[in-house]
Amino acid sequence: MAERLRTEEMIMNMGPQHPATHGVCRLILTIDGEVINDCVPVIGYLHRAIEKICENRTYAQCIPLLDRFEYVTSMSCNWAFALAAEKLTDLEIPERAEYLRVIMAELNRIASHLLCIGVTAMDLGALTPFLYTFREREFILDLFEMTCGQRLTYNYIWVGGVSKDIPPEFIPKCREFLDIIDEKCDDYEKILTKNPIWLVRNKGIGIIPEKMVHDYAISGPSARASGVNFDIRKHDSYGVYDRFDFDVPVFFGCDCYDRYRARMAEMRQSARIIRQALDQMSDGPVRAKVTMNFKPKPGEVYSRIENSRGEMGIYLVSDGTKKPFRMRARGGSYNHLMAIPEITRGLKIADLVALFASLDIILPEIDR
Amino acid sequence: MAQLVRQFASGIYNLILGLFTTTKHLGRHAITIQYPKERWDIPERSRGMVVLLTDHETGKLNCTACLLCMRACPSGAIDIEIEKDEKGKRHLVEFKVNYHICCFCGLCEESCNFAAIKLATKFEFPEFDKANLIWDSKKLAEMGFDVPYVKPVRKKPVAKKPAAKPVAKPDGDKPDGDKPTEAKPAEQKAAEDKPEEKPVTEAKAPEVKAAEEKPVEQVPDKKEESTGPEQSDSESKEDKTS
Repeated sequence: MAERLRTEEMIMNMGPQHPATHGVCRLILTIDGEVINDCVPVIGYLHRAIEKICENRTYAQCIPLLDRFEYVTSMSCNWAFALAAEKLTDLEIPERAEYLRVIMAELNRIASHLLCIGVTAMDLGALTPFLYTFREREFILDLFEMTCGQRLTYNYIWVGGVSKDIPPEFIPKCREFLDIIDEKCDDYEKILTKNPIWLVRNKGIGIIPEKMVHDYAISGPSARASGVNFDIRKHDSYGVYDRFDFDVPVFFGCDCYDRYRARMAEMRQSARIIRQALDQMSDGPVRAKVTMNFKPKPGEVYSRIENSRGEMGIYLVSDGTKKPFRMRARGGSYNHLMAIPEITRGLKIADLVALFASLDIILPEIDR
Repeated sequence: MAQLVRQFASGIYNLILGLFTTTKHLGRHAITIQYPKERWDIPERSRGMVVLLTDHETGKLNCTACLLCMRACPSGAIDIEIEKDEKGKRHLVEFKVNYHICCFCGLCEESCNFAAIKLATKFEFPEFDKANLIWDSKKLAEMGFDVPYVKPVRKKPVAKKPAAKPVAKPDGDKPDGDKPTEAKPAEQKAAEDKPEEKPVTEAKAPEVKAAEEKPVEQVPDKKEESTGPEQSDSESKEDKTS
């Protein structure tokens, strides 16, 4: 039977305009019917040479560029760069600024995970969770707009602190959000977690064994869903994260379903951190005394933070002038995308969509 | 078989649970709004259109042509044309903002010491022609005329005034008390040196007095001069690094 109906392998392009590729990524699939035999990701459609442009900008001017590096969690990108520049300059950050950074980064993490879960659901055919998660995301974006004036490219966390103090109406609004977020997470879980269609589409799909996590340096929730207990906030603490009591949710299923569950659990933990930060925060200045065109000491530094989709690192080389000599950024998505050919072998095309969404790949972070 | 039945039952139960959650939302009011007809409250800090602010007392622009915003802009969207009069004072000729490349980061507003440039909350300015998105100072001032702002309080406008003269020296080490005593004679010398013939100096003196007597014009004049030290500092930094 198989010999009589021998079929040729077909090469098919998925993307660059495919909506499930979350940006502009082209996947060259070698398919045998529905089964993927090979997958070659083609990247570079969104290349903007951010790292090179940063060499011609002062440190303060680099921050708006870092907003565009990974626009779903701009706060974390700003923070990673600010941390690196502060290490070079030996700056002392005011305590209130540290707390504000934690609050903003965690809010941004929740917003990013909401986007990821909503978009995953929409890619798999469920439109309702997408609308619900975007409703809560709007709430967070309103908080950001109230604080720093923008909804996506914040330019908020600066070298030496944050750009502005929060407005007085921020804290009540933020607490209002924290009160509803757990309830809303329950709502999403009711719709998704035990839904039979969701289970069929996600459980046992796109398995990333623990060894592959180490081989490809996969980080973030995707690594924690494969049983790797690694969170930079906990294990290589930065800022004031060591003052908070929070858990690192680890799952052992290694599949798309557990990556979804890891994100869900992480949102609750983020809300927990924000609650503690709001309680502990005291009044004070929010910016250290740094000029716009400050000059750090010559040297090199690597700073890393826990972004919503993995380790976000900035490598800076300074030659003592007001512009960085070299800037190199590391985002989690690149490693995730490079692992996809190995994971997808033998999967169906529809499963690739679920896998791509569950890894939460953002293309601007890969192309820069 | 029993497992299949259990799976089926749990599937049906969870589908109903999900549907129940969605039906709860039926009774709630919509959170979306019909945008062009309905508006929402834009926060005060919202970063929209870049505008130039006007001093309503004098009717002049607050801009002192110090070029700090032009240097702070990461994308080079601001283009300022200046001219210097015979005293070395800077005057604004043209202030252009190129909205093609403006990234609305707000660094120009942050670098400005005179509340001259601001990112207003206005955000609707689409154009059919690309060339119309390069705005000159007239348009920028027109759009920023009704934008509320807090005027910065200058602490020592008189003491800072003379420090404008030494341009090349990056005088960071000097104590503040020395500045007025040193710079005042230098200013007098400069005033005496330029017009060599005595009658001219006599003729000029009343003009200066007359200018000082007008309180309205004095304010922007002082501001313009007080930009001197910062401008010179930033210039010297530029030279060193480049």
